[in-house]
Amino acid sequence: MYPILFLSFSGLITLFLGFFQEGKWVKPATILFLAIASISAFIDWNKPGAYFFNMLQVNNFNLLLSLVILITAILIVAISDNFKEIEYAHSAEYYAIMQFSLVGAIMMTNFQSLIMLFLGVEILSVSMYVLTGTDKRNLRGNEAAIKYFLLGAFATGILLFGIAMIYGGVGAFEIDAISGTLASNQAQSLFLYIGLVMLLIGLLFKLAAAPFHFWTPDVYEGAPTIFTLFMATIVKTAVVFALYRILHQSFQNMHLSWSYILAGCIALSLIIGNLSAVKQISFKRMLAFSSISHAGFLLLGLLHVSKTADKSLLFYSVSYLLASTSAFGVLLALKNERTENGRSNENISVFKGLATRSPFLSAVLIISMLSLAGIPLTGGFWSKFYVLTDAANDQFFYLIVLALLLTAVGVYYYFKPIITVFEKSDIQEAITINPIFKIIFVLTTLGTLVLGLFPDLLYGMI
Amino acid sequence: MSLILLIPLFPLIGFLINGLGFKNIPKSLVAPIGIGASLLSFVFAFIAYSEFKNTGEVIIVKAFDWITIGDLNIPFSFQIDQLSILMLFIVTGVGTLIHLYSAGYMSHDAGYGKFFAYLNLFLFSMLLLVMGSNYLIMFIGWEGVGLCSYLLIGFWNKNSDFGDAARKAFIMNRVGDLGFLIGIFLIITHFGSLEYTQVFEMAKQYPVGSGIITAITLFLFVGAMGKSAQIPLFTWLPDAMAGPTPVSALIHAATMVTSGIYMIVRSNVLYTLSPVTLNVVAWIGVATALVAATIALFQNDIKKVLAFSTVSQLGYMFIGLGMMAYTSGFFHVITHAFFKALLFLGAGSVIHAMSDEQDITKMGGLWSKIKITAVTFLIGTIAISGIPPFAGFFSKDEILAHTFAHNKAIWVLAMLGSFITAFYMFRLFFVTFTGKFRGTQEQEHHVHESPLSMTIPLMVLAGFSIVGGFIGMPEIFHQPHFLENFLAPIYEGSESVLPGFGNLGISHETEWSLMGLSVVLALVASVFAYVVFVKNATIPKDSSELSGVKKILADKYYIDDLYLKIFSNGTSKLSKGLYNSFETKFLSPLVNSTGTLINFAGKQLTRIQNGTTGYYLFAMGISIAFILVFFLGLDVLSFFKNILGGFSK
Repeated sequence: MYPILFLSFSGLITLFLGFFQEGKWVKPATILFLAIASISAFIDWNKPGAYFFNMLQVNNFNLLLSLVILITAILIVAISDNFKEIEYAHSAEYYAIMQFSLVGAIMMTNFQSLIMLFLGVEILSVSMYVLTGTDKRNLRGNEAAIKYFLLGAFATGILLFGIAMIYGGVGAFEIDAISGTLASNQAQSLFLYIGLVMLLIGLLFKLAAAPFHFWTPDVYEGAPTIFTLFMATIVKTAVVFALYRILHQSFQNMHLSWSYILAGCIALSLIIGNLSAVKQISFKRMLAFSSISHAGFLLLGLLHVSKTADKSLLFYSVSYLLASTSAFGVLLALKNERTENGRSNENISVFKGLATRSPFLSAVLIISMLSLAGIPLTGGFWSKFYVLTDAANDQFFYLIVLALLLTAVGVYYYFKPIITVFEKSDIQEAITINPIFKIIFVLTTLGTLVLGLFPDLLYGMI
Repeated sequence: MSLILLIPLFPLIGFLINGLGFKNIPKSLVAPIGIGASLLSFVFAFIAYSEFKNTGEVIIVKAFDWITIGDLNIPFSFQIDQLSILMLFIVTGVGTLIHLYSAGYMSHDAGYGKFFAYLNLFLFSMLLLVMGSNYLIMFIGWEGVGLCSYLLIGFWNKNSDFGDAARKAFIMNRVGDLGFLIGIFLIITHFGSLEYTQVFEMAKQYPVGSGIITAITLFLFVGAMGKSAQIPLFTWLPDAMAGPTPVSALIHAATMVTSGIYMIVRSNVLYTLSPVTLNVVAWIGVATALVAATIALFQNDIKKVLAFSTVSQLGYMFIGLGMMAYTSGFFHVITHAFFKALLFLGAGSVIHAMSDEQDITKMGGLWSKIKITAVTFLIGTIAISGIPPFAGFFSKDEILAHTFAHNKAIWVLAMLGSFITAFYMFRLFFVTFTGKFRGTQEQEHHVHESPLSMTIPLMVLAGFSIVGGFIGMPEIFHQPHFLENFLAPIYEGSESVLPGFGNLGISHETEWSLMGLSVVLALVASVFAYVVFVKNATIPKDSSELSGVKKILADKYYIDDLYLKIFSNGTSKLSKGLYNSFETKFLSPLVNSTGTLINFAGKQLTRIQNGTTGYYLFAMGISIAFILVFFLGLDVLSFFKNILGGFSK
């Protein structure tokens, strides 16, 4: 709860900081604010309870989620590099919006009332629409922002419609109240069913699960890389745990109904995500499709209501955001290499010759790709393993077979950048890496390996 | 954080420093780092011992939870008890001496830093192997030492023969590892845990002769066959002598090859439960002991002789284990570590003095030229031959006494092997150190005693080879058997499933006469060797000049050729056949067409991503409609009925 309050104020302060000394304090101040916000989360540690008239719920697991989101945000801000590539950049605004969007993300993981969920989704989404279009001179960025906004507004409508229907069916917004009504074994109003479907669809859109994924590739490609990273990590984590709370803590008694919708979306996400990624030339677009397939895997962890679902999902999220930060980070570190028409080259071919030019970056990229593909000794292997074991407890056996088959397809496209790294390039000069980038890369890469070698360090802790 | 965790950590740190920075670390620092890491582990082993002695209870230190899958939980933890303490002392103690020796022996080598990095890595893996509190950690160490063994055998990688030897060792070990792995999987499925304490506690409920326990123990023993070079997986060890001599001493004589024995002693409850496996172990042991000993009779390479003698001695240890005389087998591990390390390091010193000559027919008369090496080598020879009061006598005699009590046939064969052992070891000693010098003039000119860093380990090990046997005095001398008393708690499980399992059960008179017989045999063998090689000054011949049985022995029973013909060539032929039919006609087209299909599907799928917002919205709308229809029941009639019902409320 305290991070929400703190970040709302610190975002405002950040806006004013932009006026001083050409805004050179903005980035360090943002990191400091985020660090303080992370620490403030501990005020409620071991003190579970509800805030704001039972709108927000605080317990240790929710706080842990807030921490994961905040720490990821610190990593992302650290490699953000003050937006030098954007013309007429107003970096203070971007950092402020990032902090506001985190307020939304934390609300989405801590909500108790569906109103709060809606507020959180909207705060996060509106921030993301703006951040997607920050590069005003980039036509693709503008296109992406408009597309994101139009489709997002549509999804928001559906989400709100769903919440209203649920209220119509139960007469309450609190997820505890909903699960209480469901447990009472009475015949349920049809509104509740329609509401659940609509709510689910609204959130599946935000998660980029098929068949509501159409915005993802265009937006991921058009947005500045740093915000693409933001979408791939923080937005996904927040949405997946919002879904967890709704499906596992509120509608668990309707498991039979919603699990078939999920199963369909998982199958589609895995097929579309993995197969479409095969033919991509742009690295960001490839990762966009890969994020669709990862959305499928995250949903796979939600499919079965079990005691280990939260653990598996958190493990999956953490290992996915570590690997994503490495992958997008390497692309960011290379943004000054080989520009085309004044814009940085974001195709897979930009990694050509990386093995000789910077063995360090190559190692970071390769390990992140291996983790995304789910190769053992990386966190990605265990995360896939855990969600698949959870799902295996249920009747969706064919889904697991499908997931495994498509993981093999995944290996094919994740290895494309790895192979490119070892291709000969005409440029030989070494790449200099910003020391902050180096620290972040060491953290994310070591994190990926530690999760792969000693999974229980995280899995056993939760 | 317990200090015990530091024991394996030191060599790991040493490995990381020397291994990652071997290009940047000055040569003068390499050896101090490597030796220091090993020495610190040795010191901390004492600390662990004192911590253990305070309570006398088994200490289990959990570093962290490692893997949890369903009900199976595998922590990363270490177990300190009587057995691991002893192994700790052997591994770190002998290890430190050999690190010290390497500083002198390898000083002219270009890969000095790499060598110390590998040695530290080996020490780390070996410590995991002996300290782990479950089979999985043992397995990590098991694989780690295998890897280091591979790296060190092929250390001089410019020579492709050495590379082949390294690969041979690795592949043969993999065959054994497969058995070990199957054993581990069986343990998981039947006990639901890999922790020693839990598995052995549950094993106590099983009856003697239980089928599943027999299967588990047999598979584990296959692992031990590979690592401890028993028939049929023993041919890699003699070839492993291609590596630098300190490696032969540390890995291929004193520590790694004894891990199979360690594993069986560790799992003694399981083995006690399975008489069938014990019989297999004993017979394989005696066969290996005899085969290796007879081959050693006609080898002329100083290290090869020692290698076959190692194989043969490992056979004796397994005989002991097969008689349920676990302590005796382990006792022999300890004494063998001393005298075999001594002999190998002595051989290294000889090779060093002879300008890298390893053929004993080209040596001779070195006694007066390299006095320290010669005297310590003689001590080692006496110790291995089983002449009292040197170390080898006590441990070997204990094994033989247990064998006599249980199985007379094996006992006869083992006695024969023991006689041969004494003969070939004295042959080696006499041919190398007495008679006339047979090398070139240049070599003769160059012969010199090794530097102090090499002779100190020799002298220390010689001391242990003399007195090491006193930790296990036979009962008839009315002295306490330290080792047996010390190790007694780890047999608590065996004792409960089979009370009195390790009792000797023979009278004092019998024991005296057995002892006398083996001493007489060893002395006769040594005198016999003296007559042949000193009195008659016979010089051993090369295998090409021998005929009949001698030639078969010198050519190692043609086992290597047999393996080459059956396994290597057989596999090649099978692969070629499969390649020409299955691979090219079936697999390749299948795989290629899968790739084509995926690429085609990918291309088609990217079409639906056409960039038009209106189209995206349309697709989403259709999806929503479809889900609603599906969700609210495919039966349209009841769908409408439900809607009406919903509104009427």
